[in-house]
Amino acid sequence: MTTPLAALLDTLLPGDADWPAAGTLEGVVEQVAADAAPAPLLAALPAGFATADAESREAALRALEAAEPAAFERLVVAAYLAYYTHDPVRAVLERLTGYAAHPPQPLGYELPPFDESLLETQRKRAPFWRDA
Amino acid sequence: MIVGAGASGAAAALVLAEAGLRVVCLEQGGWLDQRAAPSLEAGWERALQTTFHINPNIRRLPSDYPVVEADTPIHPALYTGVGGSTLRWGAHFPRMRPADFRARTLDGVGEDWPLAYQDLEPFYDRVDEITGVAGLHGDPANPPRQAARQRPLPLGPGPTRLAAAFDRLGWHWWPSDAAVLTEARAADQRSACNLCGPCGVGCPLHARASADTAWWPRALAAGAELRTHARVLRIERGRVLYMRGAELRAQPARAIVLAASGLGTPRLLLASGLGGWATGRHLMHHPTAVITGLFEESLDGHKGPFACALYSQEFIEDDPARGFRRGYQMQALRGGGPVQTALGGYMARLPWGRGHHAAFKATFGHSVSLTVTAEDPPDAENRVTLDAAVTDSDGLPAPRLSYRLDANARTMLDHGIARATEALREAGATRVMVNPLVAAAGFHFLGTTRMGADPRSSVVDDACRVHDAPEVVVVDGGVFVTAGAVNPTPTIQAIALRAATLLAARLKGGTA
Repeated sequence: MTTPLAALLDTLLPGDADWPAAGTLEGVVEQVAADAAPAPLLAALPAGFATADAESREAALRALEAAEPAAFERLVVAAYLAYYTHDPVRAVLERLTGYAAHPPQPLGYELPPFDESLLETQRKRAPFWRDA
Repeated sequence: MIVGAGASGAAAALVLAEAGLRVVCLEQGGWLDQRAAPSLEAGWERALQTTFHINPNIRRLPSDYPVVEADTPIHPALYTGVGGSTLRWGAHFPRMRPADFRARTLDGVGEDWPLAYQDLEPFYDRVDEITGVAGLHGDPANPPRQAARQRPLPLGPGPTRLAAAFDRLGWHWWPSDAAVLTEARAADQRSACNLCGPCGVGCPLHARASADTAWWPRALAAGAELRTHARVLRIERGRVLYMRGAELRAQPARAIVLAASGLGTPRLLLASGLGGWATGRHLMHHPTAVITGLFEESLDGHKGPFACALYSQEFIEDDPARGFRRGYQMQALRGGGPVQTALGGYMARLPWGRGHHAAFKATFGHSVSLTVTAEDPPDAENRVTLDAAVTDSDGLPAPRLSYRLDANARTMLDHGIARATEALREAGATRVMVNPLVAAAGFHFLGTTRMGADPRSSVVDDACRVHDAPEVVVVDGGVFVTAGAVNPTPTIQAIALRAATLLAARLKGGTA
């Protein structure tokens, strides 16, 4: 059975042909629960939220966001943080964008070296700083 | 005795220790092991929201102190520990320009400094040599540099488009001076940058300079002593009182060098009843707008140091015809990681719900930004005071920020937003987004212990000695008289080297 928090996360970050829904990912519900302490928000959800259709859930969350903007923002930040650091999501990201699903270090990245010919126009300019 | 082990404290420690003086530095934080930086872990972006969050009120590490920020639109962005805020910085490393020290004489606004660019030039050069600076000589917007440069950082696709756009518009641009090694320094155990991107969570290669990796090893080798987790509570004549753990200690000193930032130093002076009327006043930030362009093509924005690519100083010199006085710098920012992209970076957070994935796809890897960094005028009513209610974990009152954005700065930012938008459109951006005043841009605290000859309107003299306590020397950004429009760390360190050199001469000559 879908829990209210999982349904909420599925509404914030729904699944589609490429991306998994946030509430279905292992550990994401628990991570958001730990980071955002969402119990008061969950208590304010309408009855039947977890089994409602997507449009109704989204409308309920818009109302909740308007009523409790600060707490709702903390929840969204926690959801994005848990989602985009999750391995299966990073794998999707790599497949769709080429952004490697490994941390920035120790491999780093490569770019072509600075091309000094780009400065041809600027090098023709006379100094314009003021001496003082 | 030095208070604070950040950029300025490390520079002062090196000079004083090299002079053969006994140096003890007290630092409220500890050492950060950058060899184990979060960028080595899959969940590295979590650090930016937690242990490396830029705001100490959110980060709340044991070494942090609270900052009361209810009365300012620009919120604190700083870090504590050996290295100070250089642990968390982007390493953009420009110098102020000669005219920045003579704003009153040249432009009839602001104030003149009691020293000139030429007074600092040899110290700037030593700062560059110790730090290791990537860049290129020949910038027509700046005086020639004597210090060597390593080869510039690569631009990457986004900044390359911006460079071409600046050329077509007939505007200045130049590759950034960056405190980032592009060539290894084996003697310093520092490797060359591998373009990983997030300098702000520490650099496991020690390529990005920070005071703990580029300066403290030299200062310690020269004989300086560094005591971590030591929080200073009060400055008294000839000694400081500090907490180490639960123990209150007193450290006698012939001279006391304050290097706790333009936020922490006025806090200590106010708590100690020193400095006079101007202490904490004339707070200057660098009010910042960020303008982000979205492009159809991928720009590989995650590759390369996020804050260091290129800058434009086309609008940095004074021109009253523009409708404001003094000027601003534009600086390119590369893109961020996935979490930062979803959270908006300096822009609004991406929408949640059914439109989220499409918005993310259009943004991630497709953006490049320009900052507009405005010169902030000195205003005595913008200030740091001691809060009456909030204290840190040792009972010292928290600093309280009271700040209003100046009308001239607002006009300047708006001019810069229009020009940056023009540049991004010229570069091919299909959509441009604007943050007209970055709330999280309180990273430069300047002017709160400013230099001057008159004790009624300044806190320190031209040798950085506190007027009413000349054995106390301030070497951080608080001594700035005007802010300029560029990142201040090279200037802060040059001032620290100069002030420490003068102090060493006085101490050795028995005149301090």
